[in-house]
Amino acid sequence: MRCSAGSTAINSKLARRFAAHAVLIGYTAVALWPVLFILANSFKSRRAIFAAPLALPGPGSFDLVGYTTVLRGGSFGTYFANSLIVTLASLAGIIAFGSMAAFALAEYRFRLNTLTGLYLMLGIMIPIRLGTIGILELMVGTHLVNTLAALILVYIASGLPIAVFVLTEFMRTISDDLKNAGRIDGLSEYEIFGWLALPLVRPALSTVAVFTMIPIWNDLWFPLILAPGESTKTVTLGAQQFIGQYVTDWNAVLAALSLGILPVIMLYVLFSKNLIRGISSGAIK
Amino acid sequence: MTALELVGITKRFGQTEVLSGIDLAVAEGEFAVFVGPSGCGKSTLLRIIAGLDGQTSGQVRIAGANADGLAPAKRGIGMVFQSYALYPHLNVAQNMSLALKRAGLARAEIERRLTVAAEMLELTPLLKRKPGTLSGGQRQRVAIGRAIVRQPKLFLFDEPLSNLDAALRVNTRIEIANLHRLLGTTMIYVTHDQVEAMTLADKIVVLSSGTIQQVGRPIELYTAPANLFVAGFIGSPKMNFIAGAEARRAGAKTLGIRPEHIRIANENPRWDGVVRHAEHLGSDTYLYVRTDTAGELTVRVAGEAQAAVGERIGISPAPATLHRFDDADLRLAPL
Amino acid sequence: MTASAPPPVGAAARRPPRPHIIVFLAPALLVYTAVMIVPLLETLRLSLFISVKNETVFRGLANFGTLFFDDRYAHAFWNALRNNIFFFIIQMLQNPIGIGLAALLALPRLRASAFYRTAIFLPTLLSFVIVGFGWKLILSPLWGVAPSLLGDVGLKFLFAPYLGRESSALTTLGLISVWQYVGVPMMLCYAALIAIPDEIIDAAEVDGIIGIEQFFKVKLPLIWPTVGMISILTFVGNFNAFDLVYVTQGALAGPNYSTDILGTLLYRTFFGYQLQLGDPNMGAAVATMMFLIILAGVCVYLFALQRRLNRYQF
Repeated sequence: MRCSAGSTAINSKLARRFAAHAVLIGYTAVALWPVLFILANSFKSRRAIFAAPLALPGPGSFDLVGYTTVLRGGSFGTYFANSLIVTLASLAGIIAFGSMAAFALAEYRFRLNTLTGLYLMLGIMIPIRLGTIGILELMVGTHLVNTLAALILVYIASGLPIAVFVLTEFMRTISDDLKNAGRIDGLSEYEIFGWLALPLVRPALSTVAVFTMIPIWNDLWFPLILAPGESTKTVTLGAQQFIGQYVTDWNAVLAALSLGILPVIMLYVLFSKNLIRGISSGAIK
Repeated sequence: MTALELVGITKRFGQTEVLSGIDLAVAEGEFAVFVGPSGCGKSTLLRIIAGLDGQTSGQVRIAGANADGLAPAKRGIGMVFQSYALYPHLNVAQNMSLALKRAGLARAEIERRLTVAAEMLELTPLLKRKPGTLSGGQRQRVAIGRAIVRQPKLFLFDEPLSNLDAALRVNTRIEIANLHRLLGTTMIYVTHDQVEAMTLADKIVVLSSGTIQQVGRPIELYTAPANLFVAGFIGSPKMNFIAGAEARRAGAKTLGIRPEHIRIANENPRWDGVVRHAEHLGSDTYLYVRTDTAGELTVRVAGEAQAAVGERIGISPAPATLHRFDDADLRLAPL
Repeated sequence: MTASAPPPVGAAARRPPRPHIIVFLAPALLVYTAVMIVPLLETLRLSLFISVKNETVFRGLANFGTLFFDDRYAHAFWNALRNNIFFFIIQMLQNPIGIGLAALLALPRLRASAFYRTAIFLPTLLSFVIVGFGWKLILSPLWGVAPSLLGDVGLKFLFAPYLGRESSALTTLGLISVWQYVGVPMMLCYAALIAIPDEIIDAAEVDGIIGIEQFFKVKLPLIWPTVGMISILTFVGNFNAFDLVYVTQGALAGPNYSTDILGTLLYRTFFGYQLQLGDPNMGAAVATMMFLIILAGVCVYLFALQRRLNRYQF
């Protein structure tokens, strides 16, 4: 066993810590700087953006012209509402259907249990976009093109595999005794699911929510293909097209980008505690 | 009246047979204990009685009627689990009254039963607390209270003391015995601890590998075990088993003698040996003796025994305490 | 109570029906099958047909022949495939960086760990629109942000219009994607690392295994399954990529198709662009190829690699 003199051991440990922090701070800067840069410049006047791009908005350069252009130029209110509806409805569907399926797979012994589980979870490895052609045909056939419902259905289908995967693991950890006590007390299977099991897997539900919510909100492909109409545009699609249109109006572009960043940050701050708890308690193994 | 009757209960999981042809009758008001090592099927049997698992074949009759097809909640049973299984988001009073509300009882009646049970179990000051804030012993009492308020015909206990520490286990054991005396309900109690079985039971059912080894009163199982398994399972420390020439001389394949039935004999000892190890508990002394003719024997001496390790001693069994077992490990009639 | 004669011993007890199982499973199975599985099968089926004057004719593998060899499509296809593979190689950078960051973050009693984690994960939350356009602006020669920044550290000569040059556009996009997605392997490996019991780390410290050696000899082997899973998910995600290229370079994946990947090729083939009409069957063929590539990768992972990635039970 190596014996090092006390002081050098402490010194090397301090040195190691210092190096670790240095690397982390360095990378944090790399990660955050572009975002902060965009946010800062969105509040500056056009001249200031070009003259001193690296400066923070100050009294001379502060200007909301970008934001006013954005809010006038596109119906971002509608787009935002659409994104919100689609994301929340899809999340609700994923969590509701996913947790029910996970409960059944974890709780009941029946012949097709393993097979059904595998069937649902192989969707994790298969990107749903590959079936777009078929999906478009389906939506055309059911007259759901250019509706939010089309997007919601697609996102529920694509989010179910990972939800079932994560939630089944969690459902398995619920004590059998507790469920049996409920049965003896006269609770129906549905009550045992909704009233007993679901509250006990709350950390997992948060994890699933965050992991599925982000790709849904940020998705460009399906809004572009299934619901590009003005009334059904999501904020991501709307922003992309707006920017494409106003590409020379730097203020507007920066403002549009910033408007996209803020809601995501807020949601993340809200959910991050649960997310960590969910991941660390073994949701992803 | 028979509170519980099991007729030919068999349970198979795939190819493995976990319970084989269990036949049993428990009279009303009896305290029956299912005891056996892990994996003997006792918990499975309890779950089948409760209706939480179905039997592969055979019939369960509760209070004289066929219980097959009846949901657990409709069988008139109350169950206490090893892990207490209290609803974490309800307080004590709500935990105890949930089943009654589900059954549609009038609020006044629910209140009445709740108050009586809470007093019986000293839970009254805890009624508004959530299970997470209670100690293990308190939680166990709430679990028992939850079963009591349903006024069941049959009380089922699934290793209720296993999660408690040693001192608490003894206290709760006495409380359960008192409860039985007070309520007079038929109780089925599952445990792997033979001490709990001996102290609580009116009737002990010893199970091993899915079959009943013996049914009887505690003292019967102690003095007249039906086979080698029961003899070795009941009684602590374990019965000494002697095989080989010594056993053949007595006309058996195996001899059994309980440690507490062996005395130190200075004159005409039956067996001679060397003390290999001694444990002094103050109240008893356990001597582990390597005898010349009968293998290793454990001897329990009351009080403090003056026997040093390495010392040669002679030991003898007390009169009429030697058990004989034949080639099929069944007990032979005493000589 | 009436006494009923017990059934003959050995008669099987009837299990009561359990409709709730179906109720629990039905909604998920229905949506999943209808919207994910069936369309995928439909796509695979379509790739075997061609449309002639509004009629679909079965053509077997002819579409694939066209895709691989016909001048109209082959050049684009092989180019896109090549680019995709190159893109994937660059994306693999994401994992070592993420694991490294996670290793630092998982150090015991590291202060501000939560802050670092939140900050580094932030880009992952952003949409491709923000990431794509944001970086496009930053790297734009018009604005001069990047050149002046590089100039500040004396590296101005390194600057070039990365996104506008054929030779560097794809690499740049790859690096931008790494910047965006490092958070995912970081988070997952972080969770795996903090799941390692302290006692194992303590034992290593007592044995004198510390620092980087400890990471490579003790911690990394214990999180291989997580690393494996992240790798296969990166692989799948990569061949599914579309949004970043679409946002920064448009559907034509310029300059001169140097950033064209299978996703953008699929989009153009199916929906058509500029001069070429959309062709659903050829589009289906492209999608089928993507599916087969992903399937091959997944099978390699599941059968060859996963068995070797021991999952240790603590």
